[in-house]
Amino acid sequence: MTTDTESPTTAARSADPAPPRRRIGFTGRMMAPGIALLAALTVLPFVTIVVMSFSEVHLLGGLSLDFAGLSNWARFFTDPEMGWFWLRTALYFVLTLGLEMVLGVLLALCVWRLIRGRNLVLSMLLLPMFVAPVLVGLLGRFLVDPTIGLYSWLLEQLGYGGDVLGGTFSAFAAVVAMDVWEWTPLIALITLAGLTSVPLPLREAAALDGAGRWQTLRHIVLPSISNVLLVALLIRAMDAIRYFDIIWVTTNGGPANATKIVPVRLYETAFRFFDFGYAAVIGLAMLLASIVIARTFVRMLDRKGLAR
Amino acid sequence: MSVVDTADSRAASAPGGGTADNRGGTVGTRGSRLSPLERTGTGTRVVIGVALALALLWTLVPLVWMLLSSFKPSEAINSAEPQWLFSPTLQHYTGLFTGGNELAPYLWHSVAAAGGSAVLSVILGALAGYGLARSGMRGKRHLSFWIISTRMAPIAAVVLPLFLMFRQVGLIDTVPGLILAYLTFNLPFAIWLLNAFFADVPQALEESARVEGCTNWQAFRYVVLPLTKSGLVTTFVLCLVFAWNDYAFALVFSGPHSQTLPIAASQLVTQSGIDWGQLCAIGTFVVVPMMLAGLAVRRWLVTGLTLGAVTGE
Repeated sequence: MTTDTESPTTAARSADPAPPRRRIGFTGRMMAPGIALLAALTVLPFVTIVVMSFSEVHLLGGLSLDFAGLSNWARFFTDPEMGWFWLRTALYFVLTLGLEMVLGVLLALCVWRLIRGRNLVLSMLLLPMFVAPVLVGLLGRFLVDPTIGLYSWLLEQLGYGGDVLGGTFSAFAAVVAMDVWEWTPLIALITLAGLTSVPLPLREAAALDGAGRWQTLRHIVLPSISNVLLVALLIRAMDAIRYFDIIWVTTNGGPANATKIVPVRLYETAFRFFDFGYAAVIGLAMLLASIVIARTFVRMLDRKGLAR
Repeated sequence: MSVVDTADSRAASAPGGGTADNRGGTVGTRGSRLSPLERTGTGTRVVIGVALALALLWTLVPLVWMLLSSFKPSEAINSAEPQWLFSPTLQHYTGLFTGGNELAPYLWHSVAAAGGSAVLSVILGALAGYGLARSGMRGKRHLSFWIISTRMAPIAAVVLPLFLMFRQVGLIDTVPGLILAYLTFNLPFAIWLLNAFFADVPQALEESARVEGCTNWQAFRYVVLPLTKSGLVTTFVLCLVFAWNDYAFALVFSGPHSQTLPIAASQLVTQSGIDWGQLCAIGTFVVVPMMLAGLAVRRWLVTGLTLGAVTGE
C-alpha cells in the first residue's frame, strides 16, 4: 500500500540532490501514519461488517457470532417492506436534492447580481450549514409544535390547523423542508463560485451577438458552470446518504413509516431490535450505493484531467 | 488545477469592467464593474430583491427565533400566540449549569472529542496529503479513490461494525473512542483536502529549497507548510464542525462519561415534554461557535466543502 522503500542502497546514494527512489521513500514515510490509521479504521470495520452479514450476532453474555449462512441476505432480498424503504429513500433523495439544486442555483443567481452588501447577504444565507443537523431537527420540532410553534401558528392563520409531524404527508414534507433549509446554502455557495468564474469576455461576446439575458444564461452561463453544478450535486448526494439525524429526532421514521429512510431503518434494526446481522446487510447495501456515487465523483474529476 | 479557476476570471474581470463601462452608457447607478449582461431592468431588480428578502427570512427566522426564545421567560415561550416582546431573562442559561443540570461535562466531552479529532486529522492529514501530492507511486489513483470512498461511507454502515469492535476493546463510552470514531470521516477528509492544497504549491519551490541544502522534511516544514496555512486552518475548522455537530456516532458510542452537547440537546426531549427554553439555550451554545468558525474561513469554504474540486468564490 504505502511504498516505503527506504533501503541501504538509497541511503548510500543520499549525496545525490534528488534521487528518485529516496523521494518515494520520503513520501511513503509521510503517508504511512495517516494511511495506516485510516486502514485500521476502515478495513477492519469492513471485514467485520461483511462477517456480521453472514452471522447471527449475540451481544448478551459476551459477543458471539454464529454462522448464519445467507439467511440475512435472503431476508434482505425477500423482505417486502425493504423495497418500500428504498423507494421512500429514493423519493426523499430526489426531492431534497432536486429542491436544493433548483433553489440553490436560483439563490446563487440572485446573489450574483448583488453588488452592494453581497458579502453580508451571503454570510447570513450560509448560516444554516453550520447548525448541527440534530438541532435543525429539534428546532424544526419547536417551530411546528402544534400548541406553541411559530410556524404552526402561521399555518393556522393560513387555514392549516393540523399537527405537521403527525400526518404522513406533512411529516414527510417537513423533514424534506428541514434538510432543504440546512443544505440549499451549500449548493448556492458552490454555484456562486462557478458563476463568478464565467469569463466576462464570454458573456460580453454573447451580449454583442444579440443574445438576450435569458439566452445568455441558458446557452453561455449554465453550460460553463455545468461541471461545478455536477460537483455540487455529487457532494450533496454523498452527504445525503450519510446523515439521518434530522429524521431521527423529529419523526423517528414515523408516522406509519412515512419518513423511514434506509439509514433510520438500519439504526432501528441494530440498536432497537439488536438484529446486527440483518443491519449489516442493509449497511453493505448502503455502502455500495455510496461507492457508486464516489466513483462518479472521481471519474468526473479524472475526465476533466483534474484528479489531484 | 481545479474545475474552475477564479484567478483567471478575476484577472479578466478587472480590465473587462473598463470596456463594459465604455460601451454601456446606460449602466447607470449600479457601479462601473458591470458588463452589458448585468444591466438589469427595474423589474428584474425588484424580483431579485424580493427573492433575496424571502430567502433571508426563510433562513434567519428559525435562528432568530431560537436566539430570542433562549432569553424568553417560559410563560412567553409556552403561549399559543408568538410573543415578540418580552422581558429578557438568563434563567435558561443559568439553568444549564445549576439545579441538577450540569452541562459542563457535556461541553468538555464535545471540546475534547471534536478538538482532538480535528487536531489529529490535520496533523496526520498534512503528512499524508503532502506525501500523496508528491508521490509518484504506482496505484496512487486507487489509493486516492479508497481514501475518498471512506469519507463518503454512510455513517450507519460505519457505526455498526465499530460498535462491536469498540465493545470488544472497551472503547464504548470513552472520549478516545469518540475521537477514533470521528477520525473515520475527518481523517480521509483532511488527507484529500490537504492533498488538494499541497498540489497547488509549485514543486519548484521545494526543489530550490533542496538545492539550497534543505532536507525533504525541512522543505516541507519551512517552505510548503507556511504557504498552505489557510488550507490547514480551513481543514481544521471543517473537521471541527463535522465532529462537533455529530449526533449519529455519539448516540451509539457515548454514555455518561462521554456524552456531547448534541446528545444533551436531544436528552431534553422526554416523555413528559420538552423544556424548549433550555433547548434553545443549548442550541445557541452549540451553533454560535461553529457559525463564527465557519464564517472565519469563508474565503476557502468552497474549496473545503467540495474537497478541493472547486476553488474561489
